[in-house]
Amino acid sequence: MLDVDAVVVGTGAGGSIAMRELARAGLKVVALEEGGYLRPADFDQREDHMFPVLYQDGGGRTTEDLGIRVLGGRGVGGSTVHNTNLCKRTPDAILDLWARRYGVEGASAADLEASFTSIEKDLSVSEIASDDINPNNDALRRGALALGWKGAVLRHNRIGCQKSGFCELGCAYDAKQNALKVVVPQALAAGANLYSDVDVRRILVERGAAVGVEGVAHDGVGSGKRPVARVRVRAKVVVLAGSAVGSAALARRSGLPDPHARLGRGLRMHPGGVVAGRFDESILAHRGIPQSYECTEMLSYEEGSDRRVWIVPAFAHPIGTAATLPGFGAAHMRSMRAYGHLAVLTAMVHDETSGEVDVDGDGEPVIRYRMTERDRVQLAKGLVACARILLAAGAREVTIPAVPPVRVTNARELDALDTSFVRPFSVPLSAVHPMGTLAMGKDPRVSVVDSTGEHHQVKGLFALDGSLFPTSLGGPPQISIYAFALHLAKHAVAAAKR
Amino acid sequence: MKLPRLPRLPRRKVLKAAIAFGVLGATGSLVALVRSRGYEVPQDVRGKLVGLEAWQYVVVQHLARRVCAGDEPGVVTPDEADVAGFVDGYVANMAARMRRDLGRFLGVIEQLAPAGLAMSSRFTHLEAADQDKVLGSLESSSSDLLRGGFEGLKALLFMGYYRDPRTWRILGYDGPRVEARP
Repeated sequence: MLDVDAVVVGTGAGGSIAMRELARAGLKVVALEEGGYLRPADFDQREDHMFPVLYQDGGGRTTEDLGIRVLGGRGVGGSTVHNTNLCKRTPDAILDLWARRYGVEGASAADLEASFTSIEKDLSVSEIASDDINPNNDALRRGALALGWKGAVLRHNRIGCQKSGFCELGCAYDAKQNALKVVVPQALAAGANLYSDVDVRRILVERGAAVGVEGVAHDGVGSGKRPVARVRVRAKVVVLAGSAVGSAALARRSGLPDPHARLGRGLRMHPGGVVAGRFDESILAHRGIPQSYECTEMLSYEEGSDRRVWIVPAFAHPIGTAATLPGFGAAHMRSMRAYGHLAVLTAMVHDETSGEVDVDGDGEPVIRYRMTERDRVQLAKGLVACARILLAAGAREVTIPAVPPVRVTNARELDALDTSFVRPFSVPLSAVHPMGTLAMGKDPRVSVVDSTGEHHQVKGLFALDGSLFPTSLGGPPQISIYAFALHLAKHAVAAAKR
Repeated sequence: MKLPRLPRLPRRKVLKAAIAFGVLGATGSLVALVRSRGYEVPQDVRGKLVGLEAWQYVVVQHLARRVCAGDEPGVVTPDEADVAGFVDGYVANMAARMRRDLGRFLGVIEQLAPAGLAMSSRFTHLEAADQDKVLGSLESSSSDLLRGGFEGLKALLFMGYYRDPRTWRILGYDGPRVEARP
């Protein structure tokens, strides 16, 4: 039993900032992390070793209907440990939409400027140097330029990058300036305490206020987990920062008041599919910085837009590639032999679909997400756009991994392509950016927390992670999560001092 | 030939229904009895399984041989890469719910999927060509559930295969740049 001022559940972008700011305010803080505390020496660049420890459900988490693979992080640092370091601020149009449509207050671009600037400085965010763009990203850049499409070099948080290409398996060189390396140590230095391998099972609520959490400390992962102790923390403030999936699942299994049936609803996650182009020349896309260029030709942040696709490179190591390419057996292996000559792009949908995070009988997350027809059309447009880019960049053949696979060798074939086959289950889809299950807003009928991040019905309970966002961002969420957590942490501090 | 269309239901309901309605040929307890008999696991594996039951191990072994089949002689085989052994260890660390679902899906492949193609033998007793037909029917099934299940299983088998550094030569993949750590 621990008795503190504030307890933070989750230690990714949002949780690490929350624990740091609470500790810097002189408060007694403890953070609880479901996964382990891994260090650079633990990241051995092996997919089969790292997926089970860095990803929820060993990387095998899917929507309930199995249609979309949902990759979320676990462990100290959360998804910032395995992400590809993209740093893009929340678009102004999205912030305006949240203010206009959801009544979010105090979160305009001007309001957030100081928080963005501060976190970008902490994480040493800078633009990728042009000569650090690897051949896979260069294929995207060349293709976009040839088509006259909009694109840009991305900004990252990395120093001393060895360009090994193993970002998604954790950085063995400690070059990622992420929550694990930068923010968590700052929090610990400020006096916060952190316990890893603690699975928080319930938020404790008394008389309409959060008063702590309880959970189980364990050894191991998955069903190999061995409970070693019960953990109970009493606190004046509880901060949820376990991702839009984890935070919503915890809130749901805790039976929090939900008078307007909003808890866990409104899930967005940027579902995306991939397209592979085979080039005559060697690409070796697995080497170098995985994502350094974006194409935004088909991306508008305006509400209801019919241009809602964000295109970036997506390349995987052998296991990820094998799982994505269509077919099996000898034909599949023949496709794999082209590995070194493949450039791969992904089209992520800036989605309108509203999914849901629920829990099953064991209290584990259940993700429901049925893509709307409007989003399906965007996905199809995006995959065709990826194919056009690859052809324009000089690909000899482009494959959309459907069953049966769609292969084209020129733009005329794309013009004639019936894309009605593009939908979940027919093309492999994955999602890496869950958002929006504890959405902020003014009106409790359409939101779960207010503009300070505090729960509408449960005082002292804050959400400071991607679950806050009322809509999709249309881009990488990490800097938005860090910045919103920093921007709102003062309210959690004030509540803990009440 | 495609498998008969199944109603769109949540995955676990479908798998439970498959057992409850006897489409696997028996009640749940009988299925367990049938599954536990007639499956010979290799001598060196017997008694050492940590995640899979013996029948599941044998089904995975057969699946790996087809899904990860080589395109020419001389490439490392799924047995040499010990794909089934990897899956056994991996499954031991899966969440209980996922492990249950995987076990049920293996049962569907072993018993139900061949029947959907009017094959009278269970999957592990079929010739390789017929096993490929069964897998092809799953991959192109009109049932989202079966297609999704197959894709998940395929990913697991490929993880077992392409984790083996000997397979990387097939791809021209140079592997980790840090030295192996204990």
